[in-house]
Amino acid sequence: MTNTPAQDRPDQQDEQPVANSVTLRVANGPLAAPVLGRVISMVLARADCPMNRLDDAMILCDALSAHAPAHARDSHIVFTMATDARGIELRVGELAGRGAGELLADADVPGVGNVLERLSDELRIETSSSADPARAEELVLKLCFG
Amino acid sequence: MQLALPARAANIAVVRHAFGALGEAFAVDEETLSNIRLAVTEACTNVVVHAYPDDHEGPLEVAATLLSEDKLEVVVRDEGPGIGPRADSPGLGLGLPLIVSLTESVQLGRAADDRTEVRMTFPLSPARS
Repeated sequence: MTNTPAQDRPDQQDEQPVANSVTLRVANGPLAAPVLGRVISMVLARADCPMNRLDDAMILCDALSAHAPAHARDSHIVFTMATDARGIELRVGELAGRGAGELLADADVPGVGNVLERLSDELRIETSSSADPARAEELVLKLCFG
Repeated sequence: MQLALPARAANIAVVRHAFGALGEAFAVDEETLSNIRLAVTEACTNVVVHAYPDDHEGPLEVAATLLSEDKLEVVVRDEGPGIGPRADSPGLGLGLPLIVSLTESVQLGRAADDRTEVRMTFPLSPARS
């Protein structure tokens, strides 16, 4: 069996992955890690993500699903994934006030450094503009495919 | 668990794959998991094929909730005109009967916010070790 890369097939040469956006809201608990890993891997596969970046994304997801529940504003975590031809933006919410910074700090691995900072191409914290005193935060990470 | 994504064919696989996580997180036997995934796939396919006109892409929402230790509810919602007979339907009309055969109960209707919904419940059997 031969496996011709998609871009080399005549019917695929001009096709670009279509931008996609998926929102996953999942309760803190045993479902969060497996469902996030499964959803993001399918979303990235559909976006023609290179294998090395897919691997990076899975490591990011493992770190996020391990630590995000401790900083959630309530009993749920919301992951929003938006892909285009260049990469994926992953937003992690609805985190409690200062939760995004604490989540980032939790991803420090002795001898390795901060997993989230090392693997993502962009990283920022956004605060909800709502008047909610809990001031929900989002951690926003970007992985570029190139 | 709630998923919200554009109603397009490629995203049906995203939903189907997400439901495989139930087997990893909870002790759900293979046959039950297979029934859940097939019924959810059919419901999502109906949304992609029937809910929106060809030139318009709308949302697809899937929510799964454990009602009890042995019962799972899955609701598939869209913003289409609703479920009804269509003379120009491209399908064979097997989707809904298949869903009925795979679920403990199924309700077709409209949510309070006027979205079309298919509400399915599944009995959960513990996985055999």
